[in-house]
Amino acid sequence: MRHYGKNTAWVLILFLICSSLSLSAQEEGQEVLPLESKFKEPLTKVWFNTYGNIRISKRLFWVAQTHFRLQETESTPFVGQMAQIYNRHAIGYIYSKKFNVSLGGVLRLNFNTNEASMDRNLVPEWRIWHQYLFAMPLSSVMTYHRIRIEHRWSQGFAENSEYIFRNRWRYMFRLKVPLNSHKLEPKTFYVSPEAELIMQSGKEVVASPMEDLRLTTTLGYIVTPRLTFAAGLMYSQGQELSNGGIYKQSWTLRFHMYFSPDFRKVKNKLPEIHFND
Amino acid sequence: MIGFKTKYLFISSVFLALFVCIPLALQGQEKLHYAGPLQVGKYKGEAGYDYKVVGKDTLLDGPFLMERSNLQALLENEDSSFLFSGTFKDHYPNGSWRFQFGEFQSNSQTQVIDYQYRVLVSGTQEEVNGTLKEGKPDGAWTYTVNRIKDSELEQVLFKSNIVFENGIPQRSFRIENESGTLVGRFLRNGLAHDEWSLYITDEVEAVESWFFNDGGLEKVQGKENDETKVVQISVNREEQRKTINLDARYINILQLQLPVSDTLNVFETGMPKLLAENAQYYKKIDDILSELGESAFLPEFKVKVAHFPLNAMEKAQLDSIRVHFEKSRTISESLLNSTQLNILKLSDEEALFLYSVVRAISENFINPIEKVVDYQEQGILEFVRRDQLIRKLWPKGKPSVKIEVGKEADSVGSTRTFVLPNAERFNFDGNTMSSVEQLAQYATFGLDSIQHLLNNKLTKEQRQQELIALEEELIAQSNGLNNLIDSVGSTTTQVNKDALMQIKAIADKSLSRYSAMEEVTSKFDYARELVDCYTQLMALTKAVSVLPAQWEEIQERYQDGVWNPFTATVMNEEVKKRITASYRKVLVPYFLEWAQSDLSCDNADELVLLMQGTYRRMMELREEETSKLERKLRKEQDPKMVMQLFNIQNQVKEK
Repeated sequence: MRHYGKNTAWVLILFLICSSLSLSAQEEGQEVLPLESKFKEPLTKVWFNTYGNIRISKRLFWVAQTHFRLQETESTPFVGQMAQIYNRHAIGYIYSKKFNVSLGGVLRLNFNTNEASMDRNLVPEWRIWHQYLFAMPLSSVMTYHRIRIEHRWSQGFAENSEYIFRNRWRYMFRLKVPLNSHKLEPKTFYVSPEAELIMQSGKEVVASPMEDLRLTTTLGYIVTPRLTFAAGLMYSQGQELSNGGIYKQSWTLRFHMYFSPDFRKVKNKLPEIHFND
Repeated sequence: MIGFKTKYLFISSVFLALFVCIPLALQGQEKLHYAGPLQVGKYKGEAGYDYKVVGKDTLLDGPFLMERSNLQALLENEDSSFLFSGTFKDHYPNGSWRFQFGEFQSNSQTQVIDYQYRVLVSGTQEEVNGTLKEGKPDGAWTYTVNRIKDSELEQVLFKSNIVFENGIPQRSFRIENESGTLVGRFLRNGLAHDEWSLYITDEVEAVESWFFNDGGLEKVQGKENDETKVVQISVNREEQRKTINLDARYINILQLQLPVSDTLNVFETGMPKLLAENAQYYKKIDDILSELGESAFLPEFKVKVAHFPLNAMEKAQLDSIRVHFEKSRTISESLLNSTQLNILKLSDEEALFLYSVVRAISENFINPIEKVVDYQEQGILEFVRRDQLIRKLWPKGKPSVKIEVGKEADSVGSTRTFVLPNAERFNFDGNTMSSVEQLAQYATFGLDSIQHLLNNKLTKEQRQQELIALEEELIAQSNGLNNLIDSVGSTTTQVNKDALMQIKAIADKSLSRYSAMEEVTSKFDYARELVDCYTQLMALTKAVSVLPAQWEEIQERYQDGVWNPFTATVMNEEVKKRITASYRKVLVPYFLEWAQSDLSCDNADELVLLMQGTYRRMMELREEETSKLERKLRKEQDPKMVMQLFNIQNQVKEK
């Protein structure tokens, strides 16, 4: 319960910061906001994400994620072409079974999916990110609250375009409900609904603090404690950076592989599994 | 000046010391006095006496007094009081002595008369008075036992008056108790003489008279059922005679000497009983005096009896008789008391016959011989003519080598005879010790051979009984096995069930093989084997039936908790999969295959041990470093190799 309290407080604070930022940014807007918010036609995307958590000591692990994100284009409907490749790395610290934190960097390769564009095809984007994950068991269900804060430097595809700096404020709530077992264990299917709100701030963010709202449901299968596969469908919407009155939408098919190898010697890992319970 | 004075003073002190101490020391060696607690035999009380020390010995000398009485005990329950008073001279009781023993109860009521508290007592009091000379009674002695009621004499229970001279009874004596009075007289040398008569309180005439002549008994006259009966004791003047005490032994000698027909019960009840009572009282006093000093306080009434000393050969024969007697008594008692034989004789005619022979030997041989041994111990044999003795022991004549017993349990009807094969070697003729020895030998040899015969029979019988017990055990085991297989079979897997059925088949086959056997000895041996076999099969059934449960246990044990960072939970992960796979895919099928195809009573044990050892080893391997083993197991499909890698055989051997 205490964790829940803390989390709620965090979220509230974030909201307050974000809304004040967005209010101040609006005043200098150059784009003309439409009278009514406009929702663009949803895009379809396919994501292939790998999540690696490699244990390096009793409490530390190396987060290594590679995501391949494809986006539909005129010529490649539905599955689309490569839009982004993520390389996300961090060092995580397991504080307890119920709480861990991570800090690291991201190199994202952005591909230009605009077929008409004559600009650069590939630009890098840099991020520093830190994440606070709270996990709570609730009967046979696990609940998670994830707060992730990203500091990102991105640029457009145009030649000599400047890096712009933004902060992202992300909160995600997720459940994992085992389907064929009383708990999450090997050979278990689970369903995982999740909702994530991504807010952003920065000089360039004038009227579009809500970058993305993602609603996802995935179906997962735990092969072993070290390997899980999952697939799901995500709906998302969010304001365009340039014009807060315009909302992007997308439908994303997501395919995930979670792996967590542990290369430590047996004698080192045996007693520490249970942390401090 | 000063020196002279000191010297003078010293010399005078020495003189003074000498004068004072020497007489004291002399007197000390003469007489010392003791006053305090003392225990004499069973008597504990307060004593006061004079004594002197000569060398290392303490010699009583002078007046002696010892007494005890406890008023408290008397008032509470009862009191045993006593008083011994007299004089010692050089450790011999000498002079006038008095003994008092009281067993009193009180009615716990007291009276004050003049200046004294008085308590009335009831009970018995013994009063003994007389004179001793160098530890021997000398002069008149009276021993009185009175019954006291409320401190007044109620009845004289016993009274004896005997005059002694230097320990030897003299002139006439008188001994009486509640029922009768015995009077008689002695010669100066203490020998019984003339008529000794016993009067019963209500009768005027003497009921029993013993006529002595110079110590020799010539005639006993007694009244039985108002009829006077006279027993003449034949006296052969040529016979050697010996003076002995008139005591229980003498009575026994008389009984042996008298012809069988002349049995007077006087020997058990009349005069001898009174004399024995008197002797018992005298012994009480002798015990006390002997404990204190030197004394021979016994009423030594002397008599003369015919004497037939035992020669060296007879003594040797008696030793041999005793040995044979002890052996044959042991055998006969063990046989007669054997519960097994007592049961067997009900169904087995031969056993009954032998049992009856043992009983006959016991009655006709051993019991009379026991008396001979007993007489020898009492020292009686030398006073009895051998022919008289033998007639007394075997009134109907000595038994023969042919021991005849009835065939039936009640001894009526036809008879059967037992005789030792070497019977002709034995000769029971003649009224000599030698013939008694022959009888004793024959009894021993006969019993020996019977014991041998019966032991064979009993062993056989015992085997039969054991076989029955074994069969019962077999049936119980067979039932137990079948029940177990049925109960397990319904729940286990098909493969396990097949193995269990095979076990059942082997058990059934062995049992039918057993029941087809006819010869008892081989049947017995096979039954024993089968009991072992069934035990093994039972163990195997259990081992097979626990396989599923063991597999679950193994699976549980081969789990490791692993932290899954994505779910933030600890998940169990199967570890050392190659080991569990080898167990499941190689070893267990091998065991079951063995049970189904190669199983026999001889190897069931081995299989059980292997299965148990494998399970134990599986539990151990979880904690051991097994990376090498796991590598080796990779492609190993040979169960024997796997067991070797697991090190199971060695573990089984160690157990």
